[in-house]
Amino acid sequence: MSILESVELAVKNIVSSKTRTFLTMLDIIIGVAAVIVIVGLGNGLEQYVTDSFSGLGTNTLTVTVMSRGSTRTLSVDDMYAIVDENSQYLDLCSPTVTMPGMVKIGSETVSTTSVQGVSEDYLDIAGVTVSSGRRLQYSDMANREKVCVIGAYLDQAYYGGNAVGQTLRVGGQSLTIVGVLAQQDDTLEEGGSDDCLYLPYTTASRIAGDVSSYIVTMREEDYIDESVAALESALYEVFASDDYYTVTSMAEMLETMTSMINILVGVLAGIAAISLVVGGIGIMNIMLVSVTERTREIGIRKSLGAKERYIMEQFVIEAACTSALGGVIGILLGDGLSAVASTVVTRLMEETLTVAPTLSAVALAFGISVGIGILFGYLPAKKAARLNPIDALHYD
Amino acid sequence: MKALIEFQEVCKYYHMGDTTVVAADHISFQVYQGEFVAIVGQSGSGKSTCMNIIGCLDVPSEGTYLLDGRDVGQMNKNELAEIRNELLGFIFQQYNLLPKLNLLENVEVPLMYAGVPKKERRERAKVALEMVGLADKMKHRPNELSGGQQQRVSIARALVGEPSVILADEPTGALDSRTGREVLGILQELHAAGHTVVLITHDNSIAVQAQRIIRLEDGRVIYDGPADAPEAVVTPRAAGRFGGVPS
Ligand SMILES: Nc1ncnc2c1ncn2[C@@H]1O[C@H](COP(=O)(O)OP(=O)(O)O)[C@@H](O)[C@H]1O
Ligand SMILES: [Mg+2]
Repeated sequence: MSILESVELAVKNIVSSKTRTFLTMLDIIIGVAAVIVIVGLGNGLEQYVTDSFSGLGTNTLTVTVMSRGSTRTLSVDDMYAIVDENSQYLDLCSPTVTMPGMVKIGSETVSTTSVQGVSEDYLDIAGVTVSSGRRLQYSDMANREKVCVIGAYLDQAYYGGNAVGQTLRVGGQSLTIVGVLAQQDDTLEEGGSDDCLYLPYTTASRIAGDVSSYIVTMREEDYIDESVAALESALYEVFASDDYYTVTSMAEMLETMTSMINILVGVLAGIAAISLVVGGIGIMNIMLVSVTERTREIGIRKSLGAKERYIMEQFVIEAACTSALGGVIGILLGDGLSAVASTVVTRLMEETLTVAPTLSAVALAFGISVGIGILFGYLPAKKAARLNPIDALHYD
Repeated sequence: MKALIEFQEVCKYYHMGDTTVVAADHISFQVYQGEFVAIVGQSGSGKSTCMNIIGCLDVPSEGTYLLDGRDVGQMNKNELAEIRNELLGFIFQQYNLLPKLNLLENVEVPLMYAGVPKKERRERAKVALEMVGLADKMKHRPNELSGGQQQRVSIARALVGEPSVILADEPTGALDSRTGREVLGILQELHAAGHTVVLITHDNSIAVQAQRIIRLEDGRVIYDGPADAPEAVVTPRAAGRFGGVPS
């Protein structure tokens, strides 16, 4: 009797009592589906975080200055000087003035656009090029020009692709559009990377106040610690205290966030996996009942020459098939739920977050459910195989 | 000629707490190839005990049981299962068909455990069902059949592996007398065709259909001889009770 035939026999038995099989599998189905959705959600979250950081490469450091309360201040020129002095580690620098969404195009207010005051180097730091018109330049900073460059989304959505030379208003200030950035996302979306606007930081600080944060790039991504230390010691000299500034590395932040997400996913998946163990115990219970119910069948099979190994095999394979089937249903359910979750989360957060079940999570979930079937099917199978043929034959 | 079944001083004890029940008490007999033997006796006389030992479902507590020259008492569970599969065909009182399988699949089971390939199994099971006249019902489930038909299926199942011994345990016990006679008829045909048949029954009128009778009482053989001898069907106890000469 081959394994294939044993599987056939097991499937026959499983199919002949559908309701019971389904109830047996329920915990496995729920557990597998939950594991898949949670791992998928974790992956989506990680992807989302990575995406939103990768706009500004992982070779960037962010400096935030909180000079309020300090008698000393850091001017933009001071900051540039610091970067110059540490040029063995540091490369480009741009002040960043983040402005609350308040773009007005004609009579229409656009609230999703990210608006930032930056230096002429910012586009290099962010790795963005201009597709039409020109970039921001040093003279724009020096003269506090009332100009801006906009993302491809605004260009397409509001100017039909002919934005250069037009004007819009930011915080009541009228700005002339001098350039349009090349498209960054696959599709142009409201609130996406292409829904952005950059103006000279000098102009921006007039509207939104002093520059308080900077983005600095490193020459070598491998020297994060040295670069951060260089910046920190220079800033310490300025403020004579470390209370008034923070230096964060994008790479470290990404790492921290990713590992936090991983821990969270691990914990949640672990909780979901408990349901798999509960499912295994459920299978064991049902199999024990089934062994009792089928005592006579076992007796008959033994009288006809079934060795203990065959009986054992039959029950273990049946348990494994039951949980494998539960695993497959759980995988399908998990995939379905992942798709639903993607839509729901995207809608609620107004951000694109894909709950993507990974192949490895699916394979693992399937493997674990089969393993659980074998593990928890073993005891009942052993019980069945050990039955005394005479007693089993006369059982009723 | 070598005996197919040989009991040498076989004893079987059951221990129940402090007491020991002697279910088989130094039983010796031999069954040869092609014989039709009925083991008969009243309830509690030790028939099932003998049947379990002959059927390799159990082993003697003492003494030796040789089946086809092999000492069953020395075998492990696996070897016993193999022997049951190869040398024995069981026919039970309650038919003992597997309710979830159709007739063909039921008859295939012994061949499956013998490792016969699927196609050959199908063919041989079909032939066996034809022999008992149920080939047209082979896709039916056992519960769609009458008792007599089910018993015929179990006979087909007993025959399909071409065993050396056909062991029938009260095969007519659950049947009405007409179908019972039919089933007995089949056993007689099998005997006529050269099969060795061991029939276990408590019913004298059935036992006399065999060629030879082994009568048990209190775990002992009290008669072993031709079925048509007058003393074959009279127990000493009954004879005593009805005024016969006490043994
Ligand atoms: N498993 C057992 N445990 C204890 N006693 C048993 C067992 N099987 C049979 N016996 C006893 O052994 C004796 C013979 O029983 P059995 O072989 O079943 O006789 P029969 O089949 O002729 O009725 C009886 O006294 C019975 O009670
Ligand atoms: Mg009995």
